[in-house]
Amino acid sequence: MIGELIDGPFWYFSLVVFCIGVLFRLISILRAGLKPDLAVPRSGGSTGALRNLFSRFIPRRDVATRGRLTFVAGYLFHIGLFALLFFARPHVDFIAERITGFSWPALPYWAFIISAEIAFIGLLLLWLHRLLHPVTRLLSNADDYIGTGLVFLVMLTGCLALAQAFEPLRLLHLFLAELLLIYFPFSSLMHAFTFVFSRSYSGAVMGRKGVNA
Amino acid sequence: MRRALFSSAGVETAGFSAVLMLTLVLAFLLLMAPHAMAETAGNAPAIQVPNPSTDLWREVRQRDGVTSGRSQIAGVESGTLINPYGETWRNFRMKQLIPYSGYLLAGMLLLLILFFLVRGKIRVKAGISNKKLFRYTLYERMIHWFIASVFLFLALTGLILLFGRSLLLPWIGSEVFSLLASASKEGHNLFGPVFAVALLLVFIRFVRRNIYQKGDLTWLLKGGGIIGKGHVPSNFFNMGEKSMFWLLVLVGAVIVGSGLILVFPVFGQARITMELSHVSHALTTLLMILVIMGHIYIGSVGMEGALDGMTTGYCDLNWAREHHAEWATLCEQEGKVITDVEVSRLRGDGDTQQHAATSAQETG
Repeated sequence: MIGELIDGPFWYFSLVVFCIGVLFRLISILRAGLKPDLAVPRSGGSTGALRNLFSRFIPRRDVATRGRLTFVAGYLFHIGLFALLFFARPHVDFIAERITGFSWPALPYWAFIISAEIAFIGLLLLWLHRLLHPVTRLLSNADDYIGTGLVFLVMLTGCLALAQAFEPLRLLHLFLAELLLIYFPFSSLMHAFTFVFSRSYSGAVMGRKGVNA
Repeated sequence: MRRALFSSAGVETAGFSAVLMLTLVLAFLLLMAPHAMAETAGNAPAIQVPNPSTDLWREVRQRDGVTSGRSQIAGVESGTLINPYGETWRNFRMKQLIPYSGYLLAGMLLLLILFFLVRGKIRVKAGISNKKLFRYTLYERMIHWFIASVFLFLALTGLILLFGRSLLLPWIGSEVFSLLASASKEGHNLFGPVFAVALLLVFIRFVRRNIYQKGDLTWLLKGGGIIGKGHVPSNFFNMGEKSMFWLLVLVGAVIVGSGLILVFPVFGQARITMELSHVSHALTTLLMILVIMGHIYIGSVGMEGALDGMTTGYCDLNWAREHHAEWATLCEQEGKVITDVEVSRLRGDGDTQQHAATSAQETG
C-alpha cells in the first residue's frame, strides 16, 4: 500500500511540485526586472554576462588558495552527484521509463561507485566545513541543514540499496528523493538553477561598467 | 509363428516350476548363510572392497591440504572442487571470532564504565581558566570529524554484519534482518575506500607532530597521569595520543588493504587469501574499535576540557598546562595565550561584526 503510493501517486505529485516550483521561482526572478542603467555602457553586457558565467567555475587565485578545501570538496561533490544522478544505470533506467522515454549510455559499475565515493567525500567535508567554520556556521540556517541532510540521506539510502535485492530499500530511497524534489524549489538548493542568473547579472552589470570582474 | 509354439497352459506350468525352483534355492542359501559366514570369519580375513566414490570424495575433500586438479575452466582455483580451509575459516568465525569479539567489546565497555565509576571525570585541577590556546586548525578538525564519522559508520555496519545474525536476527526477524544486513554490506563496502582517503589525509596532516620524542617514555611509565597524582609533562601530543595515531595509521593500513581485497575479488586472489583477509580485517578492526572506545571515553566523559580543541579549535590554558605542559609553556613564551572574550569574538559567538579576522587563524 505505502509502496504503491511512493512508487505511483507520490512520485508524480513530487515531480509536479518540483517542476511548478522551479518554474515559479525562475519566472519570479525574471519578472523582478532590472533597474534601468542610465549610464553610457563602456562595454557589452552580454559579453560580460557570458564571461562571468563560465569564468566563475575557476575561482580567483586568492579564493582558490584560502578556500582550497571548499573548492576541491565542492567540485568533488557536485561532479560526483551529477554523475550519479544522470549516469548511474538505475537512474538512467528510471528516468527513461518514467520521464523521457529514451535512455543514454550509463556509467560502468566501477565508475558509478567512484562517483558515489567522491560525492560522499565532498559532501561530508563541505558539511563539516559549514558546521566548524565560524563564518559559515553563522551564515547557515535551518534550510541549509535540511537541504544538506536530505541530499545526504538520498545518497546514503541509494547506496544502501545498491544490491537492488530489497524493495523496501529502493522505496526508502525513492521516498527521500521525492521529499527532496518537493523541498528543492523552496530552498537554497535552487542555486542549481539560479547560479546562472546571479553570475550573468553580476557579469552584465560589471561588463557595462567596463570592469573585468 | 513363435508365439504359436507355446500354449498358454505350457507357459504357466514352466513359469510356476521356475519360481518354485528359485524359492527353494533362496531358502537353502538363507539357511546356509550363517554357517558360511561363521566359517569365513573364523578361517580367513574379510575381503576389503573399497568404495570408489568414497575415495573420490576423500580426494576431492582434500583433508590433507589443497591440491589443484585440472580443469578446462579458466579461473582462479577452478581446479579445486572443495577448499578444506573454508570450513576452518567458517568454524573460526562462528566459534571463536564472534563470541570472543563480543566478550572483548562488552568487556571494554564494562571496563570504561567501571573506570569512570572509580576515577570519575578527570577534572582540570587548577580549574577552567579564562584563557585559551589555539590548538587545532579548521582543516585539522574537519579531517578528524571526517574520519570519525566514516569510522563510526563502518564500525556500526561491520558490527551488524559480524554480530547481527546472533544478536539482531532473533529480535527483528529474518525479513528485516536480511534487509538490514544487505544495506550494511553495501554501505560498508562503499564507505571503505572513503575511510582510506580520510586516513591518508589524517596521516599527511598529523604525522610530523606524532613522531616520538624525548619525554614520551616518561609519560608512558607514569601511565599518562592516570597512575599517581602528579602531572606528566608532554608535548603537543602525548605518548598515548602518538601511539594511537600510529596504531590508527598502521592498523588502519591493514584494515584498508584487507578490506580492498575483500571488496574487489577481481584481481585473481584465491579463496584462502580472501579468508585470511577477512580474519585480519576482523581482528585489526576489533583492535581499533577497542582503542577508539577508549579515545571516545576520554574525549567525552572521561576528561574535562579534552574535547574543546576538536570542537572549537581552542583549549583551556590550565588544561594544556596539566596535560601538555611543554607545549603550553612554549605557547606562553611565544605569547599565544588569548582570552575567552577574544576567542568568542574570533568564533563569532559574541560580536557578530568581527568575523573577517576569523578565517585567517581558523583555516591555518
